[in-house]
Amino acid sequence: MSLFIEKELKESNISKYRKKALRNNKIAGIIISLGGYGVVLSITAILLFLIYEAVPLSFSAAIEEFSFFNSKNKNEKIMLAGLDRYVEVEYLVFENGIINFYSVSDGSLLKVEKLPLKLNEKILCADKGSLSNEIFSVVTDSSRLIVAEARMLPNYDRNKRVIVPELKIKSISNLSDEDDSKNRSIKLFKYSKNEDGNDFWAWVNDRNELFVKIFEAEEEVFYFHSLIDQVRDVEITSLAITQNGESLIVGENSGELLWFDISDYNEVKLKDNWKASASAVSAIDFLIGDNALALGTTAGEVQVWFPIRTKNNNFKFQRIHRFKSHDSAVSEIFVSSRNRSFISIDESNVLQLNYSTTSETQVKFTASTNSITTASFSPKSDALIIADEQANIGIFKVDNDHPETTIDALFGKMWYEGYDSPEFVWQSTGGTDEFESKFSLIPLIFGTFKGTLYAMLFSVPLALFAAIYVSQFAPKKVARIIKPTIEIMAALPSVVIGFLAGLYFSPLFQEHLMTVLLIPVLIIIMFLVSVFVWKSIPEIKRVKFAKGTDLLFVLPFLVISFLLAAGVSNILELNLFDGNINQWMYEVLGINYDQRNSFVVGFALGFAVVPIIFTISEDSLSNVPQSLTSASFALGASPWQTVVRIVLPAAAGGIFSAIMLGLGRAIGETMIVLMATGNTPIMDLSPFNGFRAMSASIAVEIPEAPVDGTLYRVLFLTALLLFAFTFAINSVAALIGDRLRKKYARF
Amino acid sequence: MAINISTAISRETVSELLNENIVIQTNNLSLYYTPEKSALKNVNIQIPEKKVTAFIGPSGCGKSTLLRNFNRMNDLIPGIKIEGKILINGKNIYDPDVELEDLRKRVGMVFQKSNPFPMSIWENIAFGPKVNGLSNKKDIDEIVEESLRQADLWKEVKERLNESALDLSGGQQQRLCIARALANKPEIILMDEPASALDPISTGKIEETIDELRNNYTIVIVTHNMQQAARISDYTAFMMVGELVEFNDTNTLFTHPDKKLTEEYITGRFG
Ligand SMILES: Nc1ncnc2c1ncn2[C@@H]1O[C@H](COP(=O)(O)OP(=O)(O)OP(=O)(O)O)[C@@H](O)[C@H]1O
Ligand SMILES: [Mg+2]
Repeated sequence: MSLFIEKELKESNISKYRKKALRNNKIAGIIISLGGYGVVLSITAILLFLIYEAVPLSFSAAIEEFSFFNSKNKNEKIMLAGLDRYVEVEYLVFENGIINFYSVSDGSLLKVEKLPLKLNEKILCADKGSLSNEIFSVVTDSSRLIVAEARMLPNYDRNKRVIVPELKIKSISNLSDEDDSKNRSIKLFKYSKNEDGNDFWAWVNDRNELFVKIFEAEEEVFYFHSLIDQVRDVEITSLAITQNGESLIVGENSGELLWFDISDYNEVKLKDNWKASASAVSAIDFLIGDNALALGTTAGEVQVWFPIRTKNNNFKFQRIHRFKSHDSAVSEIFVSSRNRSFISIDESNVLQLNYSTTSETQVKFTASTNSITTASFSPKSDALIIADEQANIGIFKVDNDHPETTIDALFGKMWYEGYDSPEFVWQSTGGTDEFESKFSLIPLIFGTFKGTLYAMLFSVPLALFAAIYVSQFAPKKVARIIKPTIEIMAALPSVVIGFLAGLYFSPLFQEHLMTVLLIPVLIIIMFLVSVFVWKSIPEIKRVKFAKGTDLLFVLPFLVISFLLAAGVSNILELNLFDGNINQWMYEVLGINYDQRNSFVVGFALGFAVVPIIFTISEDSLSNVPQSLTSASFALGASPWQTVVRIVLPAAAGGIFSAIMLGLGRAIGETMIVLMATGNTPIMDLSPFNGFRAMSASIAVEIPEAPVDGTLYRVLFLTALLLFAFTFAINSVAALIGDRLRKKYARF
Repeated sequence: MAINISTAISRETVSELLNENIVIQTNNLSLYYTPEKSALKNVNIQIPEKKVTAFIGPSGCGKSTLLRNFNRMNDLIPGIKIEGKILINGKNIYDPDVELEDLRKRVGMVFQKSNPFPMSIWENIAFGPKVNGLSNKKDIDEIVEESLRQADLWKEVKERLNESALDLSGGQQQRLCIARALANKPEIILMDEPASALDPISTGKIEETIDELRNNYTIVIVTHNMQQAARISDYTAFMMVGELVEFNDTNTLFTHPDKKLTEEYITGRFG
């Protein structure tokens, strides 16, 4: 009886044990698969986040009506309109000198101001004089010039922002002290106020006479120039003055443009004239930066011209960008104070938002059913105000955060202002507001691959030969020292390598360039010499060296080649290269030697890559079964033949994977390229100048990139590309490595 | 267990050998894998030309070691020490003017475990001629066919010369290895238990192949299978713990051996 119970107890114990094992098995299975899925998930999450941050770069611009109201002042023509930087207050300048400030949200009148006009004096023309604030000038039918500023400054009342509108009269003067153009109707009028506070006016009267007036603020002197003689009989149809007041462009009915230099206040010179179009130039304006000229014609053409340096060092305007044409004559062009955007409006009130650099017309729509009298960007270019002859005021929101990052701009050549031709340029930040960010990723991709190329050139042969030597030839004792030593190199923090390369090796290499260049040559020569010497040692003595130590025989010769390089370099440099090879290279070969260059980076990056390639390929070389090498030896193959014909093919999969992993490491490596190159985003394969890699670029620019700005998103795109590259390389490595293994490594 | 070396070769066999052309001869050959441990002790053997010589003996007695000496494969083992002389065609193979690669070309080897290269059948056979300097494709093609025919494999593989050698059956792989050794046109072929890993039918085929080769090559074969030794060899050497106990013509050795030890071994009293 008791025995029976015992047996049952035992059995139940066993089944309990089994159940427990099963349960543990299940739990372990769940944890392991959770881990696996977790890794896949987090990588996917990273990828999705990168995409999420980068994708807004591709969003197209949009303009939406935001507020609309009627000023109920239909009798008075609206001469100018503008907004404050928060798009909360707008102002209108009426023909009779009244300036009304309205609330954007409900159209309520906030304040009424008045320009100091005499009784029945009327404004003929008005123009804004600055891109950074709402300074404008008007010309009246009494030939008076009034300069005023519509100030809309924020006042923080109990943490609530209130915009306080206010009009400041800056100056009042007469058109001219000469009576000539007095009481004449003004047809075209342009005004600019530069950073020094100097005022520039240009106008054309109804007799087609062109005048320029300048006020020099420091000396308080007016300059007046009549350009009647300089303009021929052709009707002037448009005017533009640069923001800095250095150039005046005159557009003519014939489609010709005149370029006047007005930087010398005493004398206005015609710098150049050229034909821009077959139709009349009906609207022109300078884009921010005072360099690029946007123009529209009566045929509806919209173009941007830059001055390009000619052979004899003059500048000539050239047509660089063309945009979508309007269906009717372009009546007005005005520019953004933020970027290279500009608006063109035609006579049928169709409005186009154009972005100069990319030659793109981003938005085109009919802005009003009535004739538009004036329009303007808001200070941050995130809104437009448009007034028509029925005194309707429309305010439009402009969604155009990243106009400069089209696929073309990111990956193609772009013709930027100040360049002689389209180029790949990365230049994300500049000193001034006028600076245009240039986001071509090609120089960064190029840099990454250039660094990788030099690193691989240095590390692949070195690592492979080391792996072959250690796995096939080295005596066990030697292998036991070399292998862990190289593997420990992998643990070296890359910041240390980068630091050494940037601060120690770069100056060292520069100072001893001749020696550095000589060493590889001498090593090869000395290696051959050592082989020759080895062969001439009688066989009997040679046999005494253990197998594999024969290669160690090369070591003294390597030392000799180092010493020789150091010794000979001075003499060579003195006699062949005029005493300084860096100088000589620059003068004779035109090669510029940067201290932190690709040569140094290849060397430093190689240090990071060598251990990876070495370790993995050494493993796969060692894994080639001895039965294969024995068979090869038994067939009379020499050790080297055995390595080349049997061992290398059999280990090809592993070696390939090793090289690809090294490649992946080199592509993603940041600290070394950051510290050992000058991070100059140039595209030049020369080993003697630097580059900027994608990874380093991200590291360098992160502090400069405001969240959600274009640069910020472009950096995410760079990261995404980097991710894609390493992903692609690793996938290809896995795929091809697998194939090679299946083909050759069947043992 | 003292063995009188001078009498390892029986008197009759000595006189028989006098009529033969001796290809391989060892003089007091001793071999140490480590300084303390000798794997061969004073081995004196004479292997006649164009005959099949079999090495038998219990496991670990040094058959493979002795065999590997004839093409200096033992050189690859670190720390090995060899004393005495090995003469092939009267020339000491450790003389400085002997080129190792050339020696191995002349003395081919087939291993216990078939070890085809992970390449095509054609590439496997062509390997030897290629590393020994032949590059004319037509010549190599001829050698490949001839070698495969000699190894009795041609009919089975002539349609698939470009397929991987690893897709062949075990027996075919071993015959491929024989063909690969033959492609070098060696004088001597060393075989270390070439059929030990094969089924009886494949073993039979290998034996047939050896039988066909016996007139043109000097064959030295290590085998554990005494019937096999009896079937295919002309001479048999019996070894024990690194020493050559008896070297005799096969018939004599298996019917009335000179040595008691030999008799005990072949009758299965130990081993
Ligand atoms: N590479 C080696 N290093 C050290 N000792 C070895 C080595 N190869 C063989 N030996 C030793 O030498 C002795 C002879 O070995 P060998 O392989 O020649 O024997 P064998 O007669 O071929 O045996 P088997 O019939 O089992 O193949 C054995 O004791 C073995 O342990
Ligand atoms: Mg053996």
